[in-house]
Amino acid sequence: MHDKQFMRETAVEAAHAFRAGRLGRRSFLAICGLAGVTLPSVLAGRAEAAAGEIILWNWGGQSEECHGSAIGVPFTAETGMPLRFDTSGPLQGKIKEMVDSGNVTADVCDGDLFDAVALGASGHLEPIDYSVVSKEKTLPEYALEFGVSIILYGYAFMYDTEAWGENPPRDWADFFDLEKFPGQRSLYKWANGALEAALMADGVAPEALYPLDIDRALTRITAIRDNTIYWGSGSEAHDMIVNGEVSMGMVWQNRGRAIEERTNGRYRMVMNQAIAMPGAYIVPKGNPGGREAVMKFIAVSQSVEAQLGLFSCLGMTPTNPEAIARITPGDAPWAITSAENRPRIVLNDPVWWGQNGDAAVNAFLEAIS
Amino acid sequence: MAALTLRTSGWLLVLPLLGLVVVMFAGPLFNIFWLSFTDPGPGLSNYTALAERESLRRLLWVTLRICALTTLFSVVLGYCIAYAMTHAGEGARQKMLLLLLISFWISVLVRTFAWIMILGRNGLLNNGLMSAGLISAPLPFVRNELGVLIGMVHYMIPYAVLPLLGAMRAIDGRVMAASRNLGASPAQTFWRIWLPLTKPGVIAASLLVFILSLGFYVTPAILGGGKVLMVAEYISVQVLITLKWGTAAMLAVLILVSVLALLALMSRFMKLSAALGGRA
Repeated sequence: MHDKQFMRETAVEAAHAFRAGRLGRRSFLAICGLAGVTLPSVLAGRAEAAAGEIILWNWGGQSEECHGSAIGVPFTAETGMPLRFDTSGPLQGKIKEMVDSGNVTADVCDGDLFDAVALGASGHLEPIDYSVVSKEKTLPEYALEFGVSIILYGYAFMYDTEAWGENPPRDWADFFDLEKFPGQRSLYKWANGALEAALMADGVAPEALYPLDIDRALTRITAIRDNTIYWGSGSEAHDMIVNGEVSMGMVWQNRGRAIEERTNGRYRMVMNQAIAMPGAYIVPKGNPGGREAVMKFIAVSQSVEAQLGLFSCLGMTPTNPEAIARITPGDAPWAITSAENRPRIVLNDPVWWGQNGDAAVNAFLEAIS
Repeated sequence: MAALTLRTSGWLLVLPLLGLVVVMFAGPLFNIFWLSFTDPGPGLSNYTALAERESLRRLLWVTLRICALTTLFSVVLGYCIAYAMTHAGEGARQKMLLLLLISFWISVLVRTFAWIMILGRNGLLNNGLMSAGLISAPLPFVRNELGVLIGMVHYMIPYAVLPLLGAMRAIDGRVMAASRNLGASPAQTFWRIWLPLTKPGVIAASLLVFILSLGFYVTPAILGGGKVLMVAEYISVQVLITLKWGTAAMLAVLILVSVLALLALMSRFMKLSAALGGRA
C-alpha cells in the first residue's frame, strides 16, 4: 500500500517537473512506466493531467464518503484527476483568510449560496463559467455569478408524537405558540431559517418574506426565548430532540428522515413551511487546480447520477430538475423540492442573506443572549 | 571580558529560535493588533464601538461575571480539597491526586456532554428526583448560566488545587504547633496563621483560574444552550461567520491586554513559572 502511494506521488512529482520543463519527455515516460501508469492513459495525456487534482473543501464526516462516491468516482473516470478532501469546513472567514493570504489550497468549497454573494462581491471568488456549468441543471434562482447550487438542504421542525400525537403542530405558527403547545423549543443558533420561521409564524406570506423584517422576527423569537435552546451543529439538534430536551425542535431538513426512521416514527418532521437552503459550489480566487478543471468538476456534480447519489447518501435534495423528476414516490416526501413538497415550502433568498447576513446574525445573537 | 563573550555567544545560540518566535508568534499577534485599528477602516472605530454598543458591553460584563463566579467557586472548593490533601496520609494523598489528575485529563467536550446527560431535563438527576416524588417538573440545571458555571467550575478545580497544594505543602507544620502552644484556638490558628501563609497560593490560583476562564468556548456554547454568550465564542463568530474582523481583533486585544495586566499583577506575588506549572 505504501509502495503504491509512493509510486503515485513519484508519478505526480514527475508530472509537475515535466510540465515545468525540468524533466524530459523520455524520462517522464520512464517514471510513468516505473510507477505503473498504463500506456493508454499516457497516450491520452492523462498522466500529464494527473499533475492536477481537485481538492474539495467540505465538512468531513459522512460527506467525505458521499462526495467521493457520488461525484469523485465519475469525475476521476472522466478526467483522470483524483478528488481529494479538506474536511475542515469552508466557513466564510476561512475562505477569505485563505484567499487574502495568497496560499489557496482548495479548489472548490461545499458552501452556501449566500457565501457566494458575500465573498463574490468582495473579490474572493472565481466566477462560474456557464459555458461549462449548466444553468439548466439547477433551479433558475440559484445559478449566480460566483456560485451555483448543487444540492438543497433546509430548515424544518420535528415534534414528539408522544407529546403532540393527537393534535400535532402543523406550521411555524404552532411552533411559536406556547399557549396551544406548551413546552420547550430549539432553534438554529446563527439566525438562518429561524428568522424566516418567526416571520411566517407572525403571519407574513411565504412569498413576501424577503427582504426580511429582522426586528419583527426578533420580537417573535424573544417572546419564546425562555423556552428555547439553540443549537450550532446537526448532531446537537438531533440530541435535543431524541433526549427529550424539547418537544418541538428545528432540524436540518435533510437529517429529519434519519431521526424519524431511527426512532420508529416517534419524532415526526413537519415539511409544511420548510425553508429550502441552496448549498453551493464556490471557487476561491486563484484555486490551485485551475479554472478549467474545477468548472469541469462542478459540471460533473450537476449530473443526474451524482445528484441522486448525494440524495441517497446525505439526504440532500438535487437541484437539477431532471434529477428531481427521477426521485421515486417513496423518497419524494423527503425531497424538499419534490412535486408534493414544492407548493408548501419556501426558497431561501441567498442574495438577501449574502448582503445582510452579518447584521442579521449579530442582531440575532444580541437578542437571544 | 570573557563573560561578555559568553553572553554574546549565548544570544547567538538562541537567535534562530528568537527569530522563529518573532515570525510565528509576534508577527500574527501584531497583525491582530493592526487589524483592530484598520478593519473595516483606519481609526479607533472598533474601540469607540465599546462605548456605543450596549451589546458589546453586555458581552464583556457577562464574560467578566461568569469568570469571577467561576474563580470564586473553584478557589473555595479547591482550597478545601487542597487542605484535605495536605492533611491526609501519604497513601490517601496519592489517591486523591490521581483522582484530581484524571478529571484534569478528561477532554472538555466529554465533560460538557456528560453534564448534559446528568443534569439535563431527562438526565439522571432530574429523573431521580422526579421518580422520588421530590419535584413535579424537571429543574433547569443546564442550558442556562447555572449550567455554564457548573461546567466551568468542574473544569477549573484542578487548576485551583495544584498551586494551592504547592503553597500549603511548603508551610512548616511547627508554626501551627507553636500557635497552639501559645494558647490560640484551632479557629484562631487557621484564620490568623494558616490562611495568611497560604495567601500567595490563593492569589495565584485565583488569577490562573480567572485568566483561563476568559478563553472558555465549548462549555458556555453547549451548556449555555446558546443563551450565554461569552467573548471567545463571539470572537469566533465575528471571524468566521460575519467577517467583522475588526471587532474580533479589538476584543482579542482587549482580552490580551487584560490578561497581561493580570499576569503582571500575579508576578508581584509569586514566580509565574511555578504557578503555571508547565501548562497554561
